[in-house]
Amino acid sequence: MLQVHHDGKAVVSSGNRERSEHDVARLHAYGLWATMQQD
Amino acid sequence: MYLPRKIERDPAGGVRLNFDEQELLLLRELLAELQGLLEDPDDPAVRRLFPPAHDDFESEEQYRSLVRGQLLGGRAEALATVRRTLGRETLSPKEADAWLRAFNDLRLVLGTRLDVTEDIEFEGLDPREPRGRDLAVYAYLSWLQEELVEAIGQV
Repeated sequence: MLQVHHDGKAVVSSGNRERSEHDVARLHAYGLWATMQQD
Repeated sequence: MYLPRKIERDPAGGVRLNFDEQELLLLRELLAELQGLLEDPDDPAVRRLFPPAHDDFESEEQYRSLVRGQLLGGRAEALATVRRTLGRETLSPKEADAWLRAFNDLRLVLGTRLDVTEDIEFEGLDPREPRGRDLAVYAYLSWLQEELVEAIGQV
């Protein structure tokens, strides 16, 4: 949480694409800005 | 200045609402506007409610086709719950959760439209300024949201 506060962004989940998209969609449902990034 | 709480915890569970007629009128108007906007997905402020998940076009299209309907459905449902329960004196915990979601959406849309940033000073707003009235509405919604979070958070 503090990382978001200081940097404006943070990694909150990692995993395969399906799993990550599911997590992103849950954040989008709450109006939070979330994007996917491939490492 | 003492202001009575508009939203507070109900000792019986859920929350209590203490809105006057003027406030209900304003909220009804704002919620109706949000309802109309949800049906217009091209509105720039509404796009804030549906952020992109991917940088590349193809993945983003796929993501949209998978979740857009679900996200829209959740928002419409929360909004319908708030519009249905607006004149009530009490809300169940589940209804209060819908309020939290719909008010969050309202603030996001209004904040995007008004280009609200951390630098905006909400103390001493002048309603005669071009954005004055809308910023006052935004501040009012923020205040309600805070009371709602506090009311739900008290166990």
